[in-house]
Order: sequence, then C-alpha cells, then structure tokens
Amino acid sequence: MADGADGMGRGVGVFLTACVCGIASGLFGIGGGVLLVPLLGLLFSFSQHRAQGTSLVALIPPTGVLALLAYARHGFVSWKTGLLLIPGVFLGGIVGGRLAEKLEPQRMRQVFAGILFALGTWQAFSAWWR
Amino acid sequence: MTSIILLLGLGVGVLVGLLGIGGGVALVPAMVYLLGMDQHLAQGTSLFILLPPVGVGALREYWKQGQVDLQAGILCAVGILFGALGGSLVALPLPSRHLQGLFGCFLMLSAILLWRKAQPESKTSGDGGRAYG
Repeated sequence: MADGADGMGRGVGVFLTACVCGIASGLFGIGGGVLLVPLLGLLFSFSQHRAQGTSLVALIPPTGVLALLAYARHGFVSWKTGLLLIPGVFLGGIVGGRLAEKLEPQRMRQVFAGILFALGTWQAFSAWWR
Repeated sequence: MTSIILLLGLGVGVLVGLLGIGGGVALVPAMVYLLGMDQHLAQGTSLFILLPPVGVGALREYWKQGQVDLQAGILCAVGILFGALGGSLVALPLPSRHLQGLFGCFLMLSAILLWRKAQPESKTSGDGGRAYG
C-alpha cells in the first residue's frame, strides 16, 4: 500500500526523516528507532507493524559506528558492560518479535510511552533541579 | 551485578522486538540509574551495544509476516549513519548534566509521539478523532 507511486519524493522524505533520527541517535546514544517508528507512521502512513519491521532493518547495519568512534575517543564506552548486555538484547528481541504478532500492540505502546514520559521527566528533573 | 546486567539486556531485548526499536532509549536511563553510570558513558556504551545487529532475530519475525519495507529501511540506515555522527559532535562537548537533562526532554517528546501513534489508525487526516485507548 505504501509502495511505488511517488517513490522518489517519498524516498527523499524518508531519507531526511532518517537524518533527523540519526542526529538524535548520536546526541543521545540510542538507535533512533524510538523516533523512526512513530515518524514513519505519522508522516508516511506506515501501518504500525510495518513501521516497526522497517525500523529494525535500519538498525541492522552498524549505523551508530561513526558516533561510537567519537564517544570512544573520549573514553565514554564501558566495553565490558556492553558485552554483557548484547546477548540479552538479542535473545529478548526474538521473544518480543514473537509477542508482537500476538499482542495488541496499541496497549503495549501506550504503557511504554507512559514509562518513557515518566523516565524523561525524572531525568530532566534530576539533572536541572537537584 | 553481572546477573543484573544480563537480565537488563533480556528485558530491553523484549522491548526491541515488541516495539521495533533499537533499545538504546531504555538502555541509557537503565545504565544511569541501575548501574550508576555517567550520562556520557551510558550513551557511548549504548552505541556499542547497538553495533552488532541485535535486532536481527526480531526482524526475522517481522519479515515472516511481510511487515518490512526494505527500501525505506535501507534509506533510513544511511540517513541515521551520518546523522548520528553529527549528533555525537554536538553531545560530546556538552556537560554531562545538561546532556542528561536534554535526554530527559527527548524521552518526553518520544513518549508523546509514540502515544499519538498509539491512537486507532483511521483514514481521517490530522488529529480529528482523539479516541485514546
């Protein structure tokens, strides 16, 4: 449904959106999917599942490698903790992917959005009003 | 401590598959608060975790369902690659305290976007039907 037609213009739009997600990725040390998924849905009318699957494609290549090198040059990488976290994230991802097919993703996303909002408020508060 | 870290990874992984995200957005605050890391260190470590394709197992499940736009995904990957370099150049000189505050604001913004998308998908454009839940 979202294929073909004005493919070129849409491609440019998707690319520019991804650049914005990339800036957030380097700025905050994240993958960028948390921004990419809602934006693909809101701006390019991807269905929720399709947006999530497409976001996972964008996260397969080591997109953060240039940013990682910049952080590593400043000594801002805990290699050991990272290595311990990687297997869990991979295995958990398979479990989550299976769950996503069965669950109504709406409620899950709302719960996650609520947690994110609370976390964000906490972080901003503890940084600036301590 | 090691078992806490392993479990944390597993928990974040479930979110990766469930929401189609990289997981960094949950990893960074978890490392700051649970493991007591500095904001910059947590962000750099998160980028390291995202280096191997941790989402490939989850992607396989989506692929089987035909829920993948390969072309758009590749475009996004290229955009994120260079965007991330730009973002890191902004983040590194910032004091950790301000970076943490900004991260908090970013989380709030992402939460709002995710919530909006969580509305029932309807054909009406704009935010016509505000039927939450």
